[in-house]
Amino acid sequence: MHYIEIRDVDFEYEKGKSVFQNLSLNIDKNETIALMGPNGSGKTTLGKLMAGILKPTKGQVNVFSRDTRGIPLHEIGLRIGYLFQNPEKQFFANTVYDELGFVMKIKGYDEEYIKEKVEEKLELFQLKGLVNHSPFLLSQGEKQRLAIAAVLMNEPEYLILDEPTTGLDKKRKDMLLNLLFMLKNQGIGMTIISHDRRFVERICSRFIYISRGEIQYDERA
Amino acid sequence: MTREHNLDPRTKLVIVLCLSTLGIAVNNLALLSAIALLSYVAASLFRANLKRTFRKIKSLIYMLLFIALVQSIFTRGEPLLSAGGFAILTVNGVERALQFILRMAIVIFSATIIGTSSSRSIIQGLVQWKLPYDIAFMAALGIRFLPMLREEIRDSLVAIQLRGIDIKNIPIKERISLYSYLFNPLLVGTLLKAERLSIAMEMRGFRAYDKRTSYLVLKFTKLDYLIMFFSIAITAVFLIISYM
Ligand SMILES: Nc1ncnc2c1ncn2[C@@H]1O[C@H](COP(=O)(O)OP(=O)(O)O)[C@@H](O)[C@H]1O
Ligand SMILES: [Mg+2]
Repeated sequence: MHYIEIRDVDFEYEKGKSVFQNLSLNIDKNETIALMGPNGSGKTTLGKLMAGILKPTKGQVNVFSRDTRGIPLHEIGLRIGYLFQNPEKQFFANTVYDELGFVMKIKGYDEEYIKEKVEEKLELFQLKGLVNHSPFLLSQGEKQRLAIAAVLMNEPEYLILDEPTTGLDKKRKDMLLNLLFMLKNQGIGMTIISHDRRFVERICSRFIYISRGEIQYDERA
Repeated sequence: MTREHNLDPRTKLVIVLCLSTLGIAVNNLALLSAIALLSYVAASLFRANLKRTFRKIKSLIYMLLFIALVQSIFTRGEPLLSAGGFAILTVNGVERALQFILRMAIVIFSATIIGTSSSRSIIQGLVQWKLPYDIAFMAALGIRFLPMLREEIRDSLVAIQLRGIDIKNIPIKERISLYSYLFNPLLVGTLLKAERLSIAMEMRGFRAYDKRTSYLVLKFTKLDYLIMFFSIAITAVFLIISYM
């Protein structure tokens, strides 16, 4: 049993224009995977299939041994954290503080408890000075950090990060890398979608390269 | 009509105005059916994508049927179908419902005709009809951005569920605050996009001045005049028949 199993999957957004044909891939939870490939090769699509956001046209994707067709998104979200290629897509609140806390608020958690959890993340992700800022107006690096922090509020066991280094300078990349190492050491598995080879080589243990919807190579370091 | 796309967008606007005027003014069922048929034929002649339109408004159609049924229940008259002395369907009601559906069909069919012109030429048509340029431009821009908005709503729904919220099963009070959170990215996204767009356009020297020289100048052809004349004439005839 693998954590994520992709079995003979076909996928197309529009009829007749297939992105994947007969794709199979197994992913274990303890691996740190780099998913690489040129623009338009299908990295984002594969990431969304793995997270159950997209369902295969043919074949099957299983996460934690269940077909993604049968798992509601909110259940997947509690176990797999997904960082969108454009982090703005996952912001909903008017302030950084509320962005981290609003889900717990909707679920009826105690204010004190929420505050404690939010402050823990603010500290960890160096967002303390920005609590009252609008998430939509942050810099790229801050948006990236806030989006990851928000995803981690659910304490997921696995992360799928779509191009997390886009728009980050060297210093911000190092900062992100440290964070990811810390999460890795806590036992959180991850797939990092990226064309930044030098970044992923520093943290990943398995390298999958896709091109035009086909796996070109799949190597373990 | 072979090259219908050569028709002036203003001619199309006239046709649409005529058809929708008729749809609203005429009450007679037989006439309404004839007008609905006419709009359908006109829309197909312009090669409007009716199939796509139908797919888009599918959910609306159910609502129409429902409203029709309600209209039918609350209109008094000779009962067609009754249960325990209570009239469920009446002749009057069914007539009202049919009128309503036919009217909506006329509006929808004729609206697809406008969609066969590019937004650029529609703006030009409105401007040459003396509508202020900025208003015409905003109208066309709005139409252009609608499909993007739909995509964004879909993305937001996926993202908020991935946060661990079961949107189908939450109590009413939380549901309302959920909607306000969903509305946020749409509003901010739209504002940011509008700002970026306006900066990009001003960088290229675009301003919504009223006095402008257009590369595209629309000119009516004989065919335009002919079609406009007949549209108005037919409309008049229908109106006279229905009010005689
Ligand atoms: N929403 C969509 N609708 C239609 N086609 C899409 C959509 N998203 C991506 N595609 C197409 O699918 C292919 C793979 O895209 P994507 O997974 O985004 O690649 P990558 O992330 O590697 O750049 C591309 O050819 C792209 O044009
Ligand atoms: Mg991508």
